[in-house]
Amino acid sequence: MAGSADATAATSSRRLLAHRPQRGLLTFLGRREVLPTLLIAPVLIFFIIWNTIPTLWLLGLSFYRFSLTSGRPPIYSGLYNYTSILNDSSTWFDLSRTFVFVVLAVGIETVLGFLLGLLFWGSNRLPGRRVALTLLFAPMVVTPVAAGTFWRLIYDPTFGVLDWFIRLSGFPAVRFLSDANFAFWSVLAVDIWMWTPFMVLMAMAALASVPKAELEAAEIDRLTWFQRFRLVILYHGKFILMLGLLLRTIDAFKTMDLIFDMTFGGPGTATELIAMTLFRRAFEDFNMGSSSALAVILLLISIAFTATFLYVLYLRERKVAAA
Amino acid sequence: MSDRAREALYHALLWLVALLFFAPVFWIILSSFKTAPQILAVPPVLFFRPTFANYARLFATPSFQHHFFNSVTLSVLAVLIAVAVSFLAAFAFSRFRPAATNFLMFILLSIRMLPGSAAILPVYLMYVAFGWKDSFVAMTLFYAMFSIPFSVWILKGFIDGVSLRFDETGIVNGASWFSIIVRLTLPQVYPGVVAALIFNFIFVWNEFLFNYIIGGINTSNIPVLLATNLSQGGGIDWTFLSSLTTIYILPPILVVYFFQRYLLVGMTFGTVRGEV
Repeated sequence: MAGSADATAATSSRRLLAHRPQRGLLTFLGRREVLPTLLIAPVLIFFIIWNTIPTLWLLGLSFYRFSLTSGRPPIYSGLYNYTSILNDSSTWFDLSRTFVFVVLAVGIETVLGFLLGLLFWGSNRLPGRRVALTLLFAPMVVTPVAAGTFWRLIYDPTFGVLDWFIRLSGFPAVRFLSDANFAFWSVLAVDIWMWTPFMVLMAMAALASVPKAELEAAEIDRLTWFQRFRLVILYHGKFILMLGLLLRTIDAFKTMDLIFDMTFGGPGTATELIAMTLFRRAFEDFNMGSSSALAVILLLISIAFTATFLYVLYLRERKVAAA
Repeated sequence: MSDRAREALYHALLWLVALLFFAPVFWIILSSFKTAPQILAVPPVLFFRPTFANYARLFATPSFQHHFFNSVTLSVLAVLIAVAVSFLAAFAFSRFRPAATNFLMFILLSIRMLPGSAAILPVYLMYVAFGWKDSFVAMTLFYAMFSIPFSVWILKGFIDGVSLRFDETGIVNGASWFSIIVRLTLPQVYPGVVAALIFNFIFVWNEFLFNYIIGGINTSNIPVLLATNLSQGGGIDWTFLSSLTTIYILPPILVVYFFQRYLLVGMTFGTVRGEV
């Protein structure tokens, strides 16, 4: 009902807009055919200069052999850049390392975040709640490069506080960031520290969207905890949880600043995620043709992510409209 | 166990969790009040007489003043431009629904979903070709462009929530479009504008990679200083780094405290409303 009333309102207001009396330039600019274009124009200009043109440039360059250091003009090479990337085993190693990183980080953050979200569900009467939540949510707004810096202090093998604890408990000291066996896990741990609060936030939002009455009904019906979780909490909270999961997946795929500051992809390639690979190829080797091709591949992956995100949003809107 | 004791225990547990997550941040704040030997001491020093010498030295360092000034001006200018421009576009997207609305919203969002190094590579090529590298204006405008997608998304969501009846009433009473947009709609989407402003501010404030690649001495902000000037004379100067880090991470943390009710909407592109 509400939907159709809104629709009527929309058409009637559009009809009103179309029948305004016309006087002079301002009125012309205010006309329905002109005004929207005028309002969107600044964003479009920004978008065309800083996005469309560079992206087309990138797309074009990905078919050329071109290095900034050689000083030679680009040579057309067709799909060579793409085939060489796809045939290069190191690209696949970096992609699969990124995949493992994303799955582990997002998986652990989601489980931990949801459990902590459950813990914070009844926290309305917590003394100093606002300060406590600020402390809890601080990691996700802290400058990633700064976080990398102070984690390096904590991870330091000689005077870091973490190794001091380890030595205290009788184990040999660990070189968290410079030992190839540990570096990946050390970086993963920092990512988990940084982004679990985000999943806590999403879990709290999801739990807040569950109607109290239904939970009470479930309690009266003596549903087990698992049934309450599956039938009531998940039913109402799943969209927010899905959005959180997706946003986090996309962000984990982009992880770059932390790695740059903590290990620069090393030791060797132990922490080289795909964004770092691209950085090294483009801004250390200056091999612009090949790195353009890799950037195009990443662009396609991101578009797939975005489409999934929008699809989940669309599902939610349809559900809201049906309710 | 009595109910009150149970509740006290529960609250203590919640505080413990919050403090655990804050502990690494707390450690760097603590370090910033130590002398160099105290920072590097084994075992770690917990109780000491705080010194403010690190801060005095930091504020007197010309490179800090320069980069800090860049950080502030870049983030404030870029965000103001982006939000102003995005508000107009969001109004048009919400009210007139031009043919390509969905497609444009999709493209806008996908800019933000791209890994940083892939997003900056084409812009880098363009900036090098045009000679715009290390230009303050070009840097500001690039940051503005990168803040637009988030702002349009968040503001469109808020404007969609304002009833069309307001527009109609305005039109019937002879209000100009300017009045309808600025005096009728803007005050009602005030929370959306605030959320867009502060979350874009945090984004630009924290941004490192773009500035590192398309910037230079004229434009580089504190994160670039942090990531590149780590070592001075062989060793890492932890007194300088810890005080610099503490100063720099303070604004985002204060934002979380003062704007906690916008946190959810800000972290989800405006797709989830509400408070926690």
